[in-house]
Amino acid sequence: MNKILFILLISTQIQAQIFLGNTGKISFFSETPIENITAVNDNVSAVFDASNNNLVFQLSITDFIFPNALMQEHFNENYLESDKYPNSTFSGIVTNLENDNATVEGKLTIHGITNKITANGKFINNGDFISIIANLSVRLDDYRIKIPTIVMYKIAENIKINIDIKLVSNK
Amino acid sequence: MRVFFFILISYMPYCLNAQDNLFSLLSKDKSPVYVNYLFKGTKIVNGQSVELQAKDILQFNIQHRFGPLNSGAYNLYGLDFSQVRLSLEYGLNDWISIGIGRSSSTKVIDANSKFRLKRQILNGFPVTIVINSVICLKQISSSNLLSSNSVGLYDNLSYTHQILFARKITRNLSLQFTPTFLHYNFVEIQNANNDRFSLGFGGRQKLTKRISLNTEFFYQLNEIKNKNVLSFGFDIETGGHVFQLHLSNSPHMIDTDFITNTIGDFLKGDIFFGFNISRVFNLN
Repeated sequence: MNKILFILLISTQIQAQIFLGNTGKISFFSETPIENITAVNDNVSAVFDASNNNLVFQLSITDFIFPNALMQEHFNENYLESDKYPNSTFSGIVTNLENDNATVEGKLTIHGITNKITANGKFINNGDFISIIANLSVRLDDYRIKIPTIVMYKIAENIKINIDIKLVSNK
Repeated sequence: MRVFFFILISYMPYCLNAQDNLFSLLSKDKSPVYVNYLFKGTKIVNGQSVELQAKDILQFNIQHRFGPLNSGAYNLYGLDFSQVRLSLEYGLNDWISIGIGRSSSTKVIDANSKFRLKRQILNGFPVTIVINSVICLKQISSSNLLSSNSVGLYDNLSYTHQILFARKITRNLSLQFTPTFLHYNFVEIQNANNDRFSLGFGGRQKLTKRISLNTEFFYQLNEIKNKNVLSFGFDIETGGHVFQLHLSNSPHMIDTDFITNTIGDFLKGDIFFGFNISRVFNLN
């Protein structure tokens, strides 16, 4: 009986290697010759489990702040349909962690559509906290985000995404 | 043994998919989820909607209203007559917006302010509540001013106060209820009441993502001579602009005129066609 309890306690120790963050930053950038559009979300949360290298992200679509209120309305109402799909998530595994550079593979869900993605970035783990900085690019078409022809030249087909988040050990 | 089972059960969640498990660790956002974008524009048709101009956004509107459809081919079914209202709306912050405008044919300058008191919350507070107050000044020509029976500045003022309740019922349908009080400092007809009361009803049904059909009805509570006001509008969004096409039995565009000075009868063909074009400027 005592042995079983002891084993359970050990396994708790492994489970506890968890890093959490709630104020991560994800911004995106659409670049066309006519117009550049950028928006920032400062409320991204993420969890990393060091025992199995699992990494998840979650954000609320309505937390993206645009410099222009009308763009924000169109983003929520016409493109991302944030009332129907309020969140975007990523769940994956950190692979190839070498010299603070990592590759992450997993499933990205935006606008209710899930796609497999691979991204490279900085993954700095100093024991107490982890800092993740990464860039990736997503195609709007992959997530069924339709751009009407009248604004086609104002919105890029590929959107650049910057991720910057700090996770703190959950001791 | 009982303790053992208890511990075993408490460890059960760890047997689930490890990544789902991590999502459960994310802090649940407790902040209320506000229901936004009940209407496309700050007006349903002629009356105000619960939408406010966003902070630091200045909107310039050019509104046109033509003559009645039943005025015959000689007047090209009303298109020969045209009146214009030019206006500016500006969002001071997230819950206050102000506006100023001038109507060409009635020569009225109007200024309004809108305050949002409450917002509809998902699975929470049921409606968005906004207060709208308008003051209107009818301009007088200098020749009129000099004549003996002229009326002063005070007599040319009129006021509108409304409380707007709106709810987004589904993602496509929003409804609004607007009790309205109007006061005229001076009324031309003897024994007419300076105070008028109306009940406004409005709705927005999205037809596609970018086109919506709007309806508005003002029921007169204490004014018999004046007709109830029925209006229909189409909002067509084209990226940076919103085009609005209207049909109404009132040719006017401001509250103190269209709510209480409508003489047209919709069913008899006293229908006025109009359209608005607007452009927004970001001032931050």
